[in-house]
Amino acid sequence: MVDLKIGIEELNTCVQCGLCLPHCPTFRITGEEAMSPRGRIRLMQEIQMNDRPITKEAVDSFDTCIQCRGCEPACPSGVPYGSLIEQTKSTLVEKKYLLPKWQQIPFFFLTRPRLLRFFTRLLVVAKKIHLLPNRFAMPENIPIWDKPLRESGNDVYLFTGCVMDAWQRETHRSSKRVLEHLGFGVTPTGDRIPCCGALHDHAGLMQSAKDISQKVIRSLSENELPILVDSAGCGAALKEYGHLLGTDEANRFSARVFDIHEWVAEHLDVLQSPAKLPISVIVQDPCHLRHVQESHEAVRLVLEPFVETLIDLNDDGLCCGAGGAFSLFQPALASQARERKVAGIRAQSHDVVASANPGCMLHLQQVGVNIKHPMEIIDEALSRGIQI
Amino acid sequence: MSFLDRFKKAIGRTTSQDPFVADLIEALSAERVHFDATQRFLHSHDASVFDEGNAGPVCFPITTQEVQEIMQIAQQYSRPVVARGAGTGLAGGAIPLGEPAVIAMTKMNKILEIDIDNRVAWVEPGVINLDLSIHLQQYGYHFAPDPSSQQVCTIGGNVANNSGGPHCLAYGVTDAHVLALEVILPDGEMAVIGGLEPEPEGLDLRGAFIGSEGTLGITTKIGVRITKTPPDVRTLLLSFSSMRDAAQTVSAVIAAGIVPAAMEVMDQRITNAVESFVGAGYPIDAAAVLLVEVEGLIDGTEIEASHIREIGFKHGATNIRVADSEQERELLWKGRKTAFGAIAQIAPDYYLHDTVVPRSSLADVLEKIDEVAERYELIVMNVFHAGDGNLHPLLLFDAREEGMLEKVHAAGAEIMRISLDAGGVLSGEHGIGIEKQAYMNELFTDEDLNHQNRLRYAFDPDCRSNPGKVLPAGHSCADIQALKKVPEGIWG
Ligand SMILES: Cc1cc2nc3c(=O)[nH]c(=O)nc-3n(C[C@H](O)[C@H](O)[C@H](O)COP(=O)(O)OP(=O)(O)OC[C@H]3O[C@@H](n4cnc5c(N)ncnc54)[C@H](O)[C@@H]3O)c2cc1C
Ligand code: SF4
Ligand code: SF4
Repeated sequence: MVDLKIGIEELNTCVQCGLCLPHCPTFRITGEEAMSPRGRIRLMQEIQMNDRPITKEAVDSFDTCIQCRGCEPACPSGVPYGSLIEQTKSTLVEKKYLLPKWQQIPFFFLTRPRLLRFFTRLLVVAKKIHLLPNRFAMPENIPIWDKPLRESGNDVYLFTGCVMDAWQRETHRSSKRVLEHLGFGVTPTGDRIPCCGALHDHAGLMQSAKDISQKVIRSLSENELPILVDSAGCGAALKEYGHLLGTDEANRFSARVFDIHEWVAEHLDVLQSPAKLPISVIVQDPCHLRHVQESHEAVRLVLEPFVETLIDLNDDGLCCGAGGAFSLFQPALASQARERKVAGIRAQSHDVVASANPGCMLHLQQVGVNIKHPMEIIDEALSRGIQI
Repeated sequence: MSFLDRFKKAIGRTTSQDPFVADLIEALSAERVHFDATQRFLHSHDASVFDEGNAGPVCFPITTQEVQEIMQIAQQYSRPVVARGAGTGLAGGAIPLGEPAVIAMTKMNKILEIDIDNRVAWVEPGVINLDLSIHLQQYGYHFAPDPSSQQVCTIGGNVANNSGGPHCLAYGVTDAHVLALEVILPDGEMAVIGGLEPEPEGLDLRGAFIGSEGTLGITTKIGVRITKTPPDVRTLLLSFSSMRDAAQTVSAVIAAGIVPAAMEVMDQRITNAVESFVGAGYPIDAAAVLLVEVEGLIDGTEIEASHIREIGFKHGATNIRVADSEQERELLWKGRKTAFGAIAQIAPDYYLHDTVVPRSSLADVLEKIDEVAERYELIVMNVFHAGDGNLHPLLLFDAREEGMLEKVHAAGAEIMRISLDAGGVLSGEHGIGIEKQAYMNELFTDEDLNHQNRLRYAFDPDCRSNPGKVLPAGHSCADIQALKKVPEGIWG
């Protein structure tokens, strides 16, 4: 019998009404209770309170959760689903139901930037000679050698993260230029803070996530500068350090974290209004921006002055299936979720899709969606003339 | 599913001693028939508080033909079946009794055809109610029955429970919107009931099937009437300092000859819970709020809205607000429609009643219900379709407390009797299921029940379709003990 170590009160807030079901991508795809938030919570309740044995099917039910948290804002009872599933997965890993040791190896590299870059180069080569499976999402154009971002002042931190800094540094460059344009001197966090621990936490490596978060807090506590993040997943994780660690220090740290769009939206007024790029842009809301940070409207606010038309997807912000490392572990579900999203995108005439999360960008790029980070679009508008 | 999983499942199948399951897998596929303990457990519940379900194998058909095959196999092995939609039923209709095969209809979720000329939409039963209305927006139509669970419940479930919703006050409940049904009868035969003509040939069995809670067979295709979306809608929010004032306003509006599209009442406790979820600006200090909606042509709605304001103030309304944007209106409705879900903020469990009383006795009945709750030391909350006297008193409790469930059931029984005494009926819209079975004897005579039972026998002579539901014990089909039980442990 396994104690999932979830607070009974938290578990009991779920009244099993089912109102969250249609907001869950895995339920939408399969129509199956076991793939729904209500089913997953029911299993947690039974395992925790009535000693239900953890079968392979129960593990599958938890493991197929994308942790997009679309179910959370949909729940009228305020069930804190994110922390329920993180705690459940953490216990399952600890008790060896999930994530065998060999699968934990990649997580080791996330906090070691030099190694990560070294392996990135190997991967780039491997991909070129078709040694990697197709489902392995990786940008086409990672340069073999690339200089790190340079500090341009110290008004704000730009959080650069792990995989994103190794694979999508160009996006950081755009973010940095936009911030500089607004008059901020930028300190990129670079190798000093190699990773935020979000992927660890989602995979059930909660202790590693806690260790990482403590390091992050320590490294950024020499001053009180705001910390700006251009990855929705990392931003959500940094903002939840307070919850993860439960300390005052962590709460104070989280209060300093802003999604870059929130920050830019607050400071747009200093910009001379530039000529708009003659393009129509579909805004794709990353789950951790919309459901967790609830700051997806900021993306529209900052894009609006720079582009001709903004288009919303009429899908309630249903997840695209990327989910951090989810697309690697559950390729079938991830691509079914993506099919829904892509069908919605293709149904609307557009030039480019804007997504504020590196994971969603990679996942959607893989099937040929023309996708850019909003900061890249604004950067282009500010420098003008470059073709999209 | 990976190759390895499939392989394991295949092995599991050969070790499963139950040829019934093997045949189901043969007819569907290994991925769409689950018979492990976890899956069966998950399909033993719906949104009601009843816990005694016990599911057999769980099947996910994707075609009418597959449903037919499941029914034939079940017939061959004399096993019961129960259909399941989204599992939001509040009367336990989809709870499996006697280890039936659960036929989950959620994968049959295609909108098949929209026929604007005939104002019909053909849908598979697993289509989510709200999805159909959203799809119809582009044509200027919608599907009128709008249960509060409409964002998740299936149209098949709506038909089986003859569900209602706030806007059914003007438009009528589900049965007024169903033209034709394709059903698979318990012996596996397919039948088409009703049709597009106003007077279909032969016996019109729609009335028998709609609301039969899956006891006569399984619906596989539905032709529903679609409704033109009115050009103008006005939504008014009236606050009162007593529940009696709110109830009397409702009666007065109807007495004045106005039939609003919807009239919903919420008491103070529920309004507070809802407001903290949606932040729609519901008044948290009012003893009761009344949400009224009128729709039609602009001139008409304007006159009706001002008339309702007058009536409201005359009956003690302390404040009246009119939603002035679609966004505001949507937020107000989101609040009303998530009310049942929001109450976990107050207590972990709830028992929701569903009775209908004459509008004129609303205020009296509500006061009596309060008395009962007080006597049993339970928290009661009221949120209801006031326009048609459809009450939904909710008893809130914590099931972990010793003796609590008995107390709740006893209080529930009294509430039921109060409504019957006031000239009410047993269920407004949630169905009888297992919840109200025992009370059927009080509303119907033995003769009535025997007739109902004969109707059921005509379609389901072996009592295999959703056994143990609706008709009370003693009227045969409820007797699940008579069903063949599967030996322990056969499904792992
Ligand atoms: C928060 C909340 C609010 C609600 N509000 C309302 C409301 O305002 N009005 C209202 O009327 N109800 C309401 N309900 C109750 C419930 O949502 C409705 O009864 C709904 O119609 C059930 O649909 P379902 O798809 O969930 O069906 P289920 O609960 O899965 O099944 C209900 C019954 O239908 C049968 N059934 C399902 N599909 C088929 C089929 N294809 N063929 C034959 N039988 C079938 C099942 O066997 C069962 O007996 C509410 C429930 C919740 C949780
Ligand atoms: S998580 Fe919330 S919305 Fe989902 S079933 Fe539980 S209470 Fe209902
Ligand atoms: S987090 Fe996402 S995938 Fe997981 S249960 Fe909630 S909505 Fe479904």
